[in-house]
Amino acid sequence: MSVSPSHGEETCAAATSGRYRVVERRSFGPYALLSVLAPPLAAVARPGQFVMVAVPGPQFRLRRPLSIHSVDGERLRLLVEPRGEGTRELVAAGVADVLALAGPLGNGFPLEAIEAALLVGGGIGAAPLQFVADELRRRGVAVTGVFGFRDEAQARLAGAFEIDDLWVATDDGSVGRRGTAVDLAREVGAGRRASVLACGPAPMLGAARAWAAESGLTGYASLEAHMACGTGACHGCVVPTNRGYLRVCVEGPVFPFELLTDEPPAAAPEAPPAAPAEGPR
Amino acid sequence: MSAGGDGRPDLSVRLAGVPLAHPVLNASGTFDVLESARRFGPQVLSPFAFAAYVPKTVTLEPRTGNPPPRVTETAAGMINAVGLQNPGVAAWLDELPLLAPLPVPVIVNIGGRRPADYLEVLRRVEERLATGQADLPDVVGYELNVSCPNVGRGGLAIGTEPRETAALTAAARELTRRLVIVKLTPNVADVVAVARAAAENGADAVSLVNTLQALVLDPVRLVPYLGNRTGGLSGPAIKPVALRMVWEVAGALDVPVIGMGGIASGRDVLEFVACGATAVAVGSANFTDPDAPRRIVAELEHELRERGVTELRALRGCALGRG
Repeated sequence: MSVSPSHGEETCAAATSGRYRVVERRSFGPYALLSVLAPPLAAVARPGQFVMVAVPGPQFRLRRPLSIHSVDGERLRLLVEPRGEGTRELVAAGVADVLALAGPLGNGFPLEAIEAALLVGGGIGAAPLQFVADELRRRGVAVTGVFGFRDEAQARLAGAFEIDDLWVATDDGSVGRRGTAVDLAREVGAGRRASVLACGPAPMLGAARAWAAESGLTGYASLEAHMACGTGACHGCVVPTNRGYLRVCVEGPVFPFELLTDEPPAAAPEAPPAAPAEGPR
Repeated sequence: MSAGGDGRPDLSVRLAGVPLAHPVLNASGTFDVLESARRFGPQVLSPFAFAAYVPKTVTLEPRTGNPPPRVTETAAGMINAVGLQNPGVAAWLDELPLLAPLPVPVIVNIGGRRPADYLEVLRRVEERLATGQADLPDVVGYELNVSCPNVGRGGLAIGTEPRETAALTAAARELTRRLVIVKLTPNVADVVAVARAAAENGADAVSLVNTLQALVLDPVRLVPYLGNRTGGLSGPAIKPVALRMVWEVAGALDVPVIGMGGIASGRDVLEFVACGATAVAVGSANFTDPDAPRRIVAELEHELRERGVTELRALRGCALGRG
């Protein structure tokens, strides 16, 4: 009952809701890479999609939207940052624990027409870019990654990625170059014709959009938002776009750069427009 | 309609004459069957977990909704200020045939800025239904959302005033023979007075409670977190408030009550029924557990069996202590 998406692909009734077992857990500093045995989800997931994961325990907790980091056979991998109370409990999940989750959800990155890709990741936002890199590699597309992290502790996340041509920067220069992911993109991507596929915090995405526009590059951003349902019901996770407020969970999380705007959409008319005062034009 | 030979308790209810297989509906705006079917496939429709379907609020004109952020979690609940984003009744009616495959009745939830808007939406839906086209769902009634705390004007302004509520209910009553249900706000000193205004002016039922007006701060900047600044609190945190209000309304009036507010288990349903609710609605629990309605109905059945009760109806109002 909402704006129908005109970009990306609509999910095609392939999502599943169920309980799945954690079969592997790897730590990267405070972060965890959880492998969940979820064959029905792994079979249909596409790069850029996400799952809604229930926080274990009796308390009322909204499900947490987590990007799919990668798919390995019948396993989904989820990269989790202990950000708040809910994600701290998810990070603590161990092998043999069971997680209730629903997905895959959202549109994912449109990769079909991409001939060369520059993946721009910031912090935990880099999570879905492994799946993107895997799929592009499978298609024989050249992939370069530029990831930015706050500091050495957060840069531990880089260990969760296997991307051949991966460049890392930190804000404090403790690991890799000093600067941001977009600073790296300017340097590494100079003169290249590549699609920019970005995922990270809002300021990074804004800088990536601005740089791509300057450079005449097309690109897509995967956004994050607080969500309640994750399935299009509540309209809680909207972002302003040139087509009004769109839901990150359904029309996104991946949006073409040119669709995004920092301006809130004009309010719908408060009253029906007045009838024309004059005769037919 | 008594317990069958299989010994399963009878959960069926009649909501102002409309038979329902069990008492559990969805709260408007917390579950979208079309979106769920698009994600999870047609098995969402059959078996359909709710006894009736209440779509998200529709208004006369399209509504942009409030600026984000619109939702966040709170202790034992959540807060939202979506602001009734919807495409307006014209676009909404275009999609109405998509609900035709639903195996349960539909209750259309209507919002507006002023009474005339509600009435025009209702009139247009009635007009479409009167065409008798085969591809329409079984719309059995309307829920007038006079209690949304997240729109600048209208909504709550009507639902906090017994006279406004009375006038809108009476005017809606004139336009339809289907059920007129008035959705009440807890943000009033005397909920019974507003419920009475609805009941005495032709409402077939009242539903309560909508969300409690609330505020959450950004913990770092110490300013209101939501784009709309204030929002509506829902979830288990508000259940005792909702239960008290259902208990007051059902204790004072004969109008059927749809109870809602933090329902997350079969035991919760039983408590609302004990306080006089004929039916209930599940809201925020749909977010924490997409399987909530099925689980809650199963738990309700279990609760009755544990108590040796064969009919849910037998327990309705047992907490009221009337007479």
